[in-house]
Amino acid sequence: MFTLILTLLTALFSTGPATPAANLAIPATHLTACSPDYYSIKLVTTRKVTGARLATGKGEVTYASSPFGVSISENGSYVQNIDIQVEKVKLAEGSSLVAWITTPQLDQIKPIGRLDDTFHVSGQTDWNKFLLVITLEPANEELGDMWTGPVVVRGMSRSGLMHTKAGHGPFETEPCAVYGY
Amino acid sequence: MFLKFSSRFFALALLATSSVQAQDGMDHSMHMNHNMPMGDSLAWRMVPMGDLSMPMMPGMMDDYPEVGPMLPGHGMDISMFSEARPSEIIDMADGDTLHMDASLVRRTIGGQEYVMMAYGGMYPGPLIRADRGSKVIVEFTNNIEMPTTVHWHGLRLDNAFDGVPGVTQDPVLTGETFTYELKFPDTGMYWYHPHMREDVQQDLGLYGNMLVNPTEEDYYAPVNREVPLILDDILVDANGLVPYGDSAPTHALMGRFGNVMMVNGVTDYNLDVAAGEVVRFYLTNVANTRTFNVLFGGARIKVIAGDVSKYEQEQFVSSVVIAPAERYIVDVYFDEDRTYEITNTIQAVDHFRGVFVPQISVLGTVSATSGAVSDQETYETDFLEVRQNEDTQADIESFAQYFDKTPDHSLRLTVEVNNLHMMTMRMMEIDTLYVAPIEWNDTMPMMNWLSTGEQVDWVLLDEATGEKSMEINWDWKVGDVRKIRLFNDPKSFHPMNHPFHVHGQRFVVTHVDGVPVENKAWKDTVIVPVGSTVDILVDVTNPGQWMAHCHIAEHLHAGMMLSFNVSE
Repeated sequence: MFTLILTLLTALFSTGPATPAANLAIPATHLTACSPDYYSIKLVTTRKVTGARLATGKGEVTYASSPFGVSISENGSYVQNIDIQVEKVKLAEGSSLVAWITTPQLDQIKPIGRLDDTFHVSGQTDWNKFLLVITLEPANEELGDMWTGPVVVRGMSRSGLMHTKAGHGPFETEPCAVYGY
Repeated sequence: MFLKFSSRFFALALLATSSVQAQDGMDHSMHMNHNMPMGDSLAWRMVPMGDLSMPMMPGMMDDYPEVGPMLPGHGMDISMFSEARPSEIIDMADGDTLHMDASLVRRTIGGQEYVMMAYGGMYPGPLIRADRGSKVIVEFTNNIEMPTTVHWHGLRLDNAFDGVPGVTQDPVLTGETFTYELKFPDTGMYWYHPHMREDVQQDLGLYGNMLVNPTEEDYYAPVNREVPLILDDILVDANGLVPYGDSAPTHALMGRFGNVMMVNGVTDYNLDVAAGEVVRFYLTNVANTRTFNVLFGGARIKVIAGDVSKYEQEQFVSSVVIAPAERYIVDVYFDEDRTYEITNTIQAVDHFRGVFVPQISVLGTVSATSGAVSDQETYETDFLEVRQNEDTQADIESFAQYFDKTPDHSLRLTVEVNNLHMMTMRMMEIDTLYVAPIEWNDTMPMMNWLSTGEQVDWVLLDEATGEKSMEINWDWKVGDVRKIRLFNDPKSFHPMNHPFHVHGQRFVVTHVDGVPVENKAWKDTVIVPVGSTVDILVDVTNPGQWMAHCHIAEHLHAGMMLSFNVSE
């Protein structure tokens, strides 16, 4: 039984190619040598898109160029380059992958851009907490303000993991409602 | 008022401080009963919890640091101290001598009086101004009740005068004098401060600038005026200054964030200019731990130079990010007739609520009024031009062959703790989901205050040898070009940004997180954010036994330093 589960898990999370198709993503040659792993964003498949059920990916986060080493916006947020690489995807003819950035509340959405034929795209953000969403879109249509196709992979910034301690751990007696939750 | 060779001033200074020395009011006796307020004795009191209200952690509200409280001048009649004077500029020619002391003074900040410290009786200390290539003498006398030294931050001076106790000199005891010989090989803004208990002495006002003027024509673009801006903060409550630890610093985890911001030692800094002026600001961050993100109320900012040189090219920026001990020279154009607020604009982290909180602290103002600049030269055109600094480019380019070399040394920046409060340990273990690259604010005032230098060891770990901090003593030679890789481990017990300072040499930052730096300048201090890898290339020119360390005062005293020897 254990062997069977292990085999299934291995199949699900295998790093090998999903299909032998010629347009599978090439290795992530665009990724920087030692961008901070701690803040990199793992892109996880939704398993909802044919040809991308085993897709994986990564959003590398580095500081935008700045004479101060770290790049900070006028409102004090980090200005970060995001380098997105998706792998293990086979696209149908006429479709493409598009990267979007959105807040955890989904109240703001911006397109980062269409992934190239190596399934790579770069962008920049100064949002504190955000989600990266990669969707399947028609290849020849202009991008709108919001994605129209299904989500292929998605991931959350490290900062998005931060959440209230009210009602948790040493503060388990603190009423969450007092703090707006 | 502060004169070179001024025997009159020196005599007055001694007179003023001799009465201070006779009292010797520092209370060293409280270590054993520090948890019990006893009459006029100094006792710990609850630390201010900051402006991000959060509930007190159960079991911590009655706790105090494991060290005793200490406040210089505590229990003494504050009126016996001379009121400190605003800083003055001391122009020094080659070979000049300056007599300067450190003493206890009276300061009034935000309407409240404090006993603090001052160089030459001034806040900040006198601004020493000299030409590049000159040498001057500073006869320093210690008139505070603590041993001290003076470190001349950023200067590539002779090793014997670097001011590091136990390495380049013995501590200067109360009443003693030490003669420093300064030389200024590099144009720019530098600063001086103690290298003993900086968490106390520097925090209480022992800091000053050194402005090294260029000897070349047209070294900088013309501006209407030049203004030093020293950024600082202090931690106070309704009863005055929050005491320091006596045998070791408190706030060892994050450093002592202040809750009162100061520019040039005052809380209400204002500069009057004419609308249309271009002002060159020389920024220095002397805070114990706070990194600032400085804006000038919407005025355009152009960064000209860093610690030790101009940038390869001037660059417009939206704000100035300046870590402790760093300096930046920026030109700011005040083109409108209005008041510009100088602000520290950050996204504070509220770990309790798990959110970012925008915070804007007004550090001062620039009042621009119309009419006056029409009679002056206008430097708008020069301001809008982005200069290519070919001298800096050529200098740095001569090191290009080393930019991609394999690091000679790799340091992991981490921390070890022992005997911290149980609740602190538990909270730190729980709070591992997100650590910000830069701690802009004190996110945990109580836990931070309770952590002392006796419980926290900040560590520079040499990845190749396994040696830690002062076990490290690299052997270098004059003429070497050494690459150091600094990795700030995000998975340590308490990750935090570190401003890494190298004594006696200069370096360029070649890469941040593997990305080549596009616009370089020579520096002596660099911020290493949490999780980041920063590569620096050290131009080894200056023989002697030197230090490199984190410039957060409490981290330095918690061990985050190493040494290296440069042989001829």
